[in-house]
Amino acid sequence: MASRPRIGVYICHCGTNIAATVDVEAVTEFAKNLPGVVIARHYTYMCSEPGQALIKEDARKLGLNRVVVASCSPRMHEPTFRAASQEGGVNPYQFEMANIREQCSWVHHDRDEATAKAKALVVAAVAKAARLEPLEDREVGVTPGAVVIGGGVAGMVAALDVAEAGFPAYIVEKSDHLGGHVADLNRTFPDLEPVAEWLPGLIERVQSHPNITVFLNAQVARVEGYVGNFEVTVSGSKVSGSGLGEPGTHSLQVGAIIVATGYKVFDPHRKPEFGYGLYPQVITTLEMERRLAEGDLAVDGKEPEHVVFIKCVGSRDKQLGNPYCSRVCCMISAKQAQLVRQALPDTRVTVFYIDVRTFGKRGEEFYDEARRSGVRYRRGNVSEIYRRGDRVVVRVEDTFLRRTLEVEADLVVLAVGMEARQDTDEIATLLKLPRSADGFFLEAHPKLRPVDTAMDGVFLAGCCQGPKDIPDTIAQARAAAASALIPLLRGTVPVISETAVVDPELCAGCGMCVEVCPFGAPALDPLWGVSRVNAVLCKGCGACAVTCPSKAIQVRHFRPDQILAQVDVLVE
Amino acid sequence: MASAKPAALVIGAGIAGIQAALDLADAGFPVYLVEREPSVGGRMSQLDKTFPTLDCSSCILTPKMVDVGQHPNIELMTYSEVVAVEGEVGSFHVTIKKKPRYVEEDLCKGCGACAEACRMHGRVIDTFNQGLGKRAAIYVPFPQAVPLVYTIDPNACIYLTRGVCGKTFKCKDACPADAINFDQKEQFVEVDVAAIIVATGFDLIDPRTKPEFGYGVYPNVLTGLEFERLSSASGPTAGKILLNGKEPKDVVFIHCVGSRDPHTGVPYCSRICCMYTAKHAHLVRDKLPDARITVFYIDMRAFGKGYEEFYDRVKHEGVIYRRGEPSEVFKRGDKLVVRADDTLLRRTVEVEADLVVLATAVVPRADTEAVARLLGLERTPDGFFKEAHPKHCPVESTRPGVFLAGCCQGPKDIPDTVAQGKAAAAAAMGVLHQAMGNG
Repeated sequence: MASRPRIGVYICHCGTNIAATVDVEAVTEFAKNLPGVVIARHYTYMCSEPGQALIKEDARKLGLNRVVVASCSPRMHEPTFRAASQEGGVNPYQFEMANIREQCSWVHHDRDEATAKAKALVVAAVAKAARLEPLEDREVGVTPGAVVIGGGVAGMVAALDVAEAGFPAYIVEKSDHLGGHVADLNRTFPDLEPVAEWLPGLIERVQSHPNITVFLNAQVARVEGYVGNFEVTVSGSKVSGSGLGEPGTHSLQVGAIIVATGYKVFDPHRKPEFGYGLYPQVITTLEMERRLAEGDLAVDGKEPEHVVFIKCVGSRDKQLGNPYCSRVCCMISAKQAQLVRQALPDTRVTVFYIDVRTFGKRGEEFYDEARRSGVRYRRGNVSEIYRRGDRVVVRVEDTFLRRTLEVEADLVVLAVGMEARQDTDEIATLLKLPRSADGFFLEAHPKLRPVDTAMDGVFLAGCCQGPKDIPDTIAQARAAAASALIPLLRGTVPVISETAVVDPELCAGCGMCVEVCPFGAPALDPLWGVSRVNAVLCKGCGACAVTCPSKAIQVRHFRPDQILAQVDVLVE
Repeated sequence: MASAKPAALVIGAGIAGIQAALDLADAGFPVYLVEREPSVGGRMSQLDKTFPTLDCSSCILTPKMVDVGQHPNIELMTYSEVVAVEGEVGSFHVTIKKKPRYVEEDLCKGCGACAEACRMHGRVIDTFNQGLGKRAAIYVPFPQAVPLVYTIDPNACIYLTRGVCGKTFKCKDACPADAINFDQKEQFVEVDVAAIIVATGFDLIDPRTKPEFGYGVYPNVLTGLEFERLSSASGPTAGKILLNGKEPKDVVFIHCVGSRDPHTGVPYCSRICCMYTAKHAHLVRDKLPDARITVFYIDMRAFGKGYEEFYDRVKHEGVIYRRGEPSEVFKRGDKLVVRADDTLLRRTVEVEADLVVLATAVVPRADTEAVARLLGLERTPDGFFKEAHPKHCPVESTRPGVFLAGCCQGPKDIPDTVAQGKAAAAAAMGVLHQAMGNG
């Protein structure tokens, strides 16, 4: 069945990324003499259109049946070159990549040694390519609909986009109401618009949308399946026209999952030096939001003469394990400081900051307005807050004046930052999502895939991925909806072809593969007493293949003979 | 594009427009992607590395560029401009002008023989390289261009400007594919679309508006984008930081050049300069381990994911951050001197430099007003396109069915641009779904 190999080998310069360290011409000459190689070439950028055209034209003219490209990491361009091979008439799974950039030119300095290593990587790739079998691309159907975990602004906006495109959306909200943290806000920066003017309308649109089902007091209990076909078990109460239903368990069949679980407000008790909880004069920005809404800024029945805001409480603080910026506190402080000046024109307002980060649209202008309204900005690190009579004293190192100051205040507002929620771990385990060092969920790529995750079909919206203000949250939520809508609108998703396969003659039915598989793909056939792999669930990770004591399981495209062929030529 | 589904128009093929077009096309909708320049890629294709992961910009961008060039649902129209838009959400009628490349797109193989032969070879300012290099009158902007088709610069070509180019066309003679055609004329294409995504990007302020920094006077005062090309492996120095063939020993970076400055008409923060300067400082440290590197800043705005951590890393690499606004750059002997008021030391300091890099403000594109009129869009006081609501409608424009993606709505870094590009695609998917009669 295996055709006689006719291999084309292509060495990429990657501009100077490879060619400056590796003698690409020497590698090409070397490759020409390897067994099965019909042609070897080198080119400036193999990923560019003319680079790909070389593969396609050679494949057709010379009747290639295997292609090897020596360039960068397959994570980047394997799909590109597989597609080019296919267009040239070569089965895309009879393509092999040698990584001579990340694993060679970028990490070595000596040109001779780097060239020798590049040759070794190429000879190994050629040896494997010769043994590659053709595989078929596979697709499975998609269950229309999406589950959105979290009913804050991010979750609601994402659900609306899914629903507007004609698909059912299920919102699973932990609390007893929609709206999330934004429901606790009074007015939003920079237009000081009351939240009450738009949030209820958004909630109403969600609740009345025929394609949206809301579950309150609800949690995701279990997630099974894979992109295109998830089964999500929800425990909670379904909202219907007649109100909140009885608590129960609901099984939802969907094609995609959007995680919009939000954030946790930093607990200022963890900065005991600020006396939060000890002194009634020390409150958080969230508590200030309520006071501003109620128009009650009095402390002990008296209007404050001096209100102090302290920024970066729980943010940019390595000792607390939160080295990151929470992105919204500068603007929230500027907003609240202005509102205090408006409500109490005789009250002094001081903001202590490290850097003012008012970067959003109209943010800088808003910061200017705050200063013009009489808010005093002082650069300084607050070291402690203590009581003096009816007032509190803020002890601060003014980094401009370069001395320590003591400032008396009647009300101190701590601009508390954002943290990953405590239940991030549970959700991460349920959905098999990785997290970044800051505790938030990790996106698939920090630059170009900000809402995708390592799990196909699971997407991130809003602050569960990292701190964000409302417009950035909404943009990201709609971005997550776009990613979720792609499989729903297409109706099919590709699934990998490099799956595990069991040889029933060798299988002893021990079940070790069933235990070790993270995706629930293998199961013991009760009739024959041997393992069988569900090829739709299998991700080709190979855990079963290395566990199997009787070597009955092999992963297509990574068979022992294919890998050992690489090892053999390398040790020769 | 045989699909019977309603189509979308995406204007601008930088990373915002590319992402929006790919999402719509992957979802099965036909997309017309219109780009004014000869290649897709936009600003991101000019960058060297990207913060905070230091991914090579073109390495992560190229696959997406190739995808838009090959996607069966995308009709890519480069070197083209939208000239008229009529109708309303669900049924826009759009006229697109295809400018003459004087090269047949389906014949050109991108071999470059024409550029080698061109009489203007090495004599035309290379705008892709921010003027740091020279190219021919017939060119591709960069080696990974999509489509990889040569274009004749009508302002530089001797024949097109003077009506004669020697006895014979060197480029035509050199072309093995017979692709060069000086008879090409403008073409107008009309298309019907249900939704429009505007992703026209941004400009950078001309640093001559701050004459005290000596840009244009001293050749070793560069903009951030010029530094990107200088540092890029595919740039004019192949990635070596060289000025007149020499490595700089003292490098000074200046933040907020134009930004946060009501006098320049840019009162807002440009949102990306703090981080790309931190990246530049790191690249200098990486390539010139002994260089003295100073960054002047007002407020350090490292607000994105992993950004504060990157800033911290750069400080630990021995980059000196000084809080203060430089007042002038002048020459003393062989060196430049940056004079600044250090607001933490509370005194004026002078720092010597062989290279000064200005982090210039992100500003609306020069033709924003004309594009706004063409599309019937409003603008915010900062000049960028106005979103339907600053808080809860960040991607809808003020015209139904027209959505905003990327920096044409305001400055943004790459992840925020990608997210907004996708968000605009999601919004357009809703409109396209309604247009299928499913409303």
